[in-house]
Amino acid sequence: MRVGILVLFGLALLELTGPGAAVAQSIHSTIQRVQSRMVKVFGAGGIRRLHAYSTGFLVSPTGHVATVWSHVLDTDELTVVLADGRRISAKVLGAEPQLDLAVLQLKADGLELPAWNLASDSGDAGPGTRVLGFSNMFKVATGDEKVSVLHGVVATKAPLATRRGSFETAYEGTAFIVDAVTNNPGAGGGVLTTRGGRLLGMIGKELRNAETNTWVNYAVPISEIRKPIEEIIAGRYRARQREPEGVDEVARFRPLDFGLVLVPDVLFRTPAFVDRVQPGSAAARAGLQPDDLVLFVNGDLIQSCRVLKQRLGRLEAGGVLKMTVRRGDRLVPAELPVPAKSSTPSGEKSR
Amino acid sequence: MTWSQSMARRIGTMLVVLAVGGAVVHGQAPADLETKEEQAFKAAAVNVAPSVVRIQTVGGLDRVGRTLTGTGATTGLVVSADGFVISSAFNFISKPASVLVTLADGRRFPAKIVANDRARMLTLLKIAADGLSTVSPVPRKNFRVGQWAIALGRTYDSPLPNLSVGILSALDRVWGRAVQTDAKISPANYGGPLVDIQGRVIGVLVPLSQRQSGQTAGVEWYDSGIGFAIPMVDILSTLPRLKTGEDLLPGLMGITLKRGDVYAVAAVIDRVRFNSPAEKSGMKPGDVIASIDGREISRLVQVRHALGNKYAGETIKVVVRRGDKKVDQQIQLVGKLEPYAPAYLGILPRRRLVGDKTVGVTVRGILPESPASQAKLLPGDRVVRVDGTAVADVAGLLDIISRHRIGETVKVQVERREARQTLTATLSGIPPTVPAIIESAIIAAPEPKPANLPGTGRISEDLAGHNHNFWAYVPETYNPAHGYGLVVWIHPGGDTMEADIHDLWKPICEERGLILVGPRAKKVSGWNLGEAGFVEALVQEMQKRYRIDGRRIVLHSYSDGARFGYHLAFRYRSLFRGVAVSSEPLRLSPPENRPELRLQFFLSCGDKDNLFGLVQKSRARLETMKYPVTLTPVAGDGHNYPPVPVIDAMGRWIDLLDRI
Repeated sequence: MRVGILVLFGLALLELTGPGAAVAQSIHSTIQRVQSRMVKVFGAGGIRRLHAYSTGFLVSPTGHVATVWSHVLDTDELTVVLADGRRISAKVLGAEPQLDLAVLQLKADGLELPAWNLASDSGDAGPGTRVLGFSNMFKVATGDEKVSVLHGVVATKAPLATRRGSFETAYEGTAFIVDAVTNNPGAGGGVLTTRGGRLLGMIGKELRNAETNTWVNYAVPISEIRKPIEEIIAGRYRARQREPEGVDEVARFRPLDFGLVLVPDVLFRTPAFVDRVQPGSAAARAGLQPDDLVLFVNGDLIQSCRVLKQRLGRLEAGGVLKMTVRRGDRLVPAELPVPAKSSTPSGEKSR
Repeated sequence: MTWSQSMARRIGTMLVVLAVGGAVVHGQAPADLETKEEQAFKAAAVNVAPSVVRIQTVGGLDRVGRTLTGTGATTGLVVSADGFVISSAFNFISKPASVLVTLADGRRFPAKIVANDRARMLTLLKIAADGLSTVSPVPRKNFRVGQWAIALGRTYDSPLPNLSVGILSALDRVWGRAVQTDAKISPANYGGPLVDIQGRVIGVLVPLSQRQSGQTAGVEWYDSGIGFAIPMVDILSTLPRLKTGEDLLPGLMGITLKRGDVYAVAAVIDRVRFNSPAEKSGMKPGDVIASIDGREISRLVQVRHALGNKYAGETIKVVVRRGDKKVDQQIQLVGKLEPYAPAYLGILPRRRLVGDKTVGVTVRGILPESPASQAKLLPGDRVVRVDGTAVADVAGLLDIISRHRIGETVKVQVERREARQTLTATLSGIPPTVPAIIESAIIAAPEPKPANLPGTGRISEDLAGHNHNFWAYVPETYNPAHGYGLVVWIHPGGDTMEADIHDLWKPICEERGLILVGPRAKKVSGWNLGEAGFVEALVQEMQKRYRIDGRRIVLHSYSDGARFGYHLAFRYRSLFRGVAVSSEPLRLSPPENRPELRLQFFLSCGDKDNLFGLVQKSRARLETMKYPVTLTPVAGDGHNYPPVPVIDAMGRWIDLLDRI
């Protein structure tokens, strides 16, 4: 236990010796420096409560702007307002919808703008690191004004989607989650920095956590989007292949394939209690019993019969299924071999 | 002391030294101080991290009231080395089938819910583990408004707890139960600790509300800068009781106080609940509370403060002023009061026309087999006094009767053909049946027709200021001299049933003097609880346009529309007086029956409907809470909108809503 603390504490200290501690800079100069690299983006929207504005940050002196991929960009009339108030038309140069990322190109020649150098200006942070958020939230910065600044701390750096469907976003990687309310209408494409001005991440869209039914404030780490940004600018980016949709809908395995019969699924969240175990089945050999409650499958919490069926449906053929069941007041592990052949004909999987 | 604790303490000392070294304005601190503060936040978090556990639940309800229950991980705090874990009761409102606790070192245990503290909204869990790290509490005398307060949770997939930094904003909040912080408090850290900069625990984070009680109260304030924590010292002092498995309930006396500005008026007792501790100790309506446990009470709000921290079973000392006397009372608080059962005389009062200033209540009808019929009251009688108290109007008579218990006898003085006579009636409860005949009081069209009459007939329009529309039916004979009942039709998911409802209800509206209004859900597929405000606004709009009788505003719904219907009825208690539901059981817990907010129920269901059993249970549930409720089974029918005879009965029932 104590070793654990030491390791954790060591981690915390390591983070401190990073850029945040090294850059001894007053918060005022940080804000000035960051704001000069921020832009406001105006585009499509304005109806049905959809905002027609968002935020971006300059990633090249010649006028490349990184921003969030959203409906705002869905127009030929994109306008970018620089920190000094200049208004310049822009076009979408490229986008990566899976990262909620887009790169704009300002339509002006001979620009020499203050811009982020993603390689040398960015940093990392852990829980408790004080941060600043910069964005065009709620369009309060009308006219030529600079974007708004919020302060807070990093609540955690963790995967945004611990399980499928828990967040309503395309982005599923690790994110900075902050305790300030950074993700507002129009704030997407803004940046999160340390108080020393190190670039940490790009503020994402407004996002609801479907597990807790609350809004989440997060930023996508620069390390996740740096390469795509650079490749889009260089003109050699190819959007990632999205997994064909509908694959998830095919149940590769069912509980019965393991010899498990669950209790009738009557409620929205019927707990995955075992009703019967078929004699001689994999479940029987693994020692599972009626009334066992299936709690974990390969480390994922199983909250209902429905979830268990989904998990089994997504299993790859072959290998071992690790299960933890609650039997009375004990947690009991079990291992079941996954059959080599799925119960559904493979033809159904093609689109 | 572990190494990290000593480290945290060193940093704490360092900070003190730095702060003394120069007056530092928050937000403009030198960079090195900022760095050290940041370091201290992290050290504080690391210090308590071993006691902060992750809680996961399996099974349970998907929604409670209007709150969707979360399925994500929540947080708890180890409170004793032998496996007791305290958490926010909010994390268990779904009544999960199984609870799992994951310790900071990754070990997992099934947990048992031991007991709940329903005043402070905490739940105690037990796991079969020993030798766990516990935390040290901050003594109450060390609480300082303005000190750093770090909120921790374990909801994300990360080895370190998630944290939010703020300050202690206030002490003694929510009737003395909690401290307040501006750290971001949400389901991401409910049940986790609020710690000071040295990593000692100030309290445990819970959603709470100053205005409401209940399991989801205060959740809507998440991340707002207003968050609450129950002081750890208070938790430790009630822990021995919780450990025995005893649920702790807020202590009740059984009185209601005269309404008014809670900050301005004195605490005058309005009603004393039958069989309550207050009644047994001899408290009487009209008594003024002067002190509780030695704390002087001059205003209503102070009563709540004095009682906020009291549990059922505790004894309090109350001094009341009665006339010129002061009366001392010892009252042992209880957790549950006997529900209020409305008494009933059995008359239908004549509804007044605009400008009618007659004193007393004229009887429109006498209900069969009622106390009034046994006492031989007659239609046309004017009730002028009850037990010597003058009756001004319907509200006055209702108030007098509502202060009596079932079985009590009242002397009713009536004026009959210019003569006065006094009749004696023994009050009963409101019967569960609807008489087969209630003579309708058909309203004639106004003669001559006044100018500027609001729209009549079938109406369909948008509600200004809301992104919603509605339809309505107003009798063509609408006469603004009369008050009209209002039937709010809450359609089921997937079908507004507009044409059918219009055709079926049009004759009832004309016969019974009703206006029908049908709000349309944004998505026809179903109601979203967020649309409640629209329905409320729509009712208010109808009240503005037409003369609506506030005693006969009814929510009517069928099938799953009733989930929203019940929700509306319980949320807007002061607006709705009746709920008429077909083919859907009650899935919410109804609020307490209150004399000043009368609510009556009409249920119907096909006896071949799968839900029939549950609807019968709903009736039993409402009856236990002493609500007047009628259940009309439809013989041989499945899951269908009820046939005409049942709708007729519903119309008669609506006509009965203002019975006394």
